Amino acid sequence: MRADTVYNKGIKIKKTKADRIFDAVNMFIWVIILFIILYPLWLILIASVSDPDAVVQGKVLFLPVSFSMMGYEAVFQHSELWNSYLNSVIYTVGGTAVSLIVTMCAAYALTRNFAGKKIFNFIFVFTMFFNGGLIPTFLLMRDLGLYNTRFLMIVINCVSVWNLMVARTYLNVNMPNELYEAAVLDGSSHFRFFLSIVLPLSGTIIAVLTVYYGVERWNDYFTALVYIRDRSKLPLQTILREVLATLKTSTSTDSFFSAYANDSEGMTLAIRKAQVAKYCCIVISTAPAVVLYIFMQNYFVKGVMIGSLKG
Amino acid sequence: MPAVIYFFVYTYMPMYGLQIVFKDYKFVRGITGSEWVGLKHFKDFFSAYYFGRLIKNTFLLNFLNLIITFPIPIVMAILLNQFEFPRYKKFTQTVIYVPHFISTTVMVGILYLFLSPENGIVNYFIEKLGGKAIYFMILPQWFRPLYIGTEIWQHAGWNTILFIAALAGVDPEIYEAATIDGATKRQKILHIDIAHIMPIAIMLLILNSGRLMFSNVDKTLIMQTSGNIPTSDILGLYVYKVGLAGSPPQPSYAAAIGLFTNVINFIMILSVNWVSKRLSDTSLF
Repeated sequence: MRADTVYNKGIKIKKTKADRIFDAVNMFIWVIILFIILYPLWLILIASVSDPDAVVQGKVLFLPVSFSMMGYEAVFQHSELWNSYLNSVIYTVGGTAVSLIVTMCAAYALTRNFAGKKIFNFIFVFTMFFNGGLIPTFLLMRDLGLYNTRFLMIVINCVSVWNLMVARTYLNVNMPNELYEAAVLDGSSHFRFFLSIVLPLSGTIIAVLTVYYGVERWNDYFTALVYIRDRSKLPLQTILREVLATLKTSTSTDSFFSAYANDSEGMTLAIRKAQVAKYCCIVISTAPAVVLYIFMQNYFVKGVMIGSLKG
Repeated sequence: MPAVIYFFVYTYMPMYGLQIVFKDYKFVRGITGSEWVGLKHFKDFFSAYYFGRLIKNTFLLNFLNLIITFPIPIVMAILLNQFEFPRYKKFTQTVIYVPHFISTTVMVGILYLFLSPENGIVNYFIEKLGGKAIYFMILPQWFRPLYIGTEIWQHAGWNTILFIAALAGVDPEIYEAATIDGATKRQKILHIDIAHIMPIAIMLLILNSGRLMFSNVDKTLIMQTSGNIPTSDILGLYVYKVGLAGSPPQPSYAAAIGLFTNVINFIMILSVNWVSKRLSDTSLF
């Protein structure tokens, strides 16, 4: 064995010419790919802290120009934006918690043997391929009295069948039936077994589900667009859509920010601020999801692989 | 089993509500109180002016998106697998996953900002190079390239995960044997990597082709402008616009279109599943 490795190392030092060319080309391709991915992100970041005039004139390309926090000031003064930010946090935290509880319970149930397991399984999977559609669902939510409530924003879409199947596969592989039988012999109930053995052992899959559900909630704007009428209950993404996704570079968005200006001089200042404020909005809205990802990546890249390969 | 209750309420009860597609639904009368009109809504839709355009736009968008975006993660995974320094590899992986976590709203917002004809950076360069500013978000021919381009930018990196996992499963002894036999990296990729990735790639391709009539309403809705409607109008979005956002809303008509697309999707998935069963013994059910 040892001799083999040394032999291999000997070969690695003498790379063939073709391999060296390959490595160089590969490196080159990746430098381009990383540039394409990182440059727009970097551009947004530096534009958000630059002077508005420089941004509009296209002077901000690689480094911030005349550093200013004007945009962030405008954003921080904007109460509707912060209200929606708070809403998003509530919906994301609440929704993810509900999703996790329901998904883990259902996934656990599907790994145990009980009468009708196949039927339940079918009931779940069928919804992946067929559903009532947007309009009937909307009518139902309205008839249930959930239209325009915060409760709906937390409970709706709480289980994704795909995530449920990933969780089920994980539990199937990692919680053998023998473990359950041993626990039962020691006098454990289903409930107790789930709480004190299954959950503590499922850290990886819980991390994966948290990131999946959390990011999906945080980034969702369409649900609120359909089901929420009061502006005070709208989440961040729906408000952002009004700010960002508009053809007009002036008028609507600027009035959105200039509502806080009280004279004409303040108006022009506000219009300048609004330009940069858009970049700031992007930064503050995207940061939570990206930070969550970087924070949890070690767990979940591994977990995603487990789930997807076996599922 | 809260999940059972949830699924019953959220996905099966709307199926009961589907009966409105055969009725003339009025908000004041409710589901049971509305009149039966039979297949009227379906007939209306099939003979509607936009029918052909909606079908064509939905299919073309998904089809182009599938064939263009599909190979990219595979190539990326293979190239990444050839990295010899673990630290660079890890860094690269971290970076290419990041765009996946950007929301659709922000993604499209970035498009509007960068492509703005007045002060967007892209048009700034075009004008610098002597060109004329292009109204990207208004011209219909730009809708599909922008849609697909952002799909690639956001998700190509993320979609490498599966293929990287498949490559990680390759027995290192195979590579060693190939090295000793004098194989170059190019040969190793052609004969080892691709052979290992193929089964997963084919399965994903089959699965995705069952989704050719699905609509990504979220993204299309924000990308749609009065200018690019000829290419950006797709089935799912039409349902939303007619059924909820329209004035006056026509819920029955929209639900009928929704049911129509659901049935088509369902049939496509079943047939794709059947084909894959025949061809490769892999299937969903």
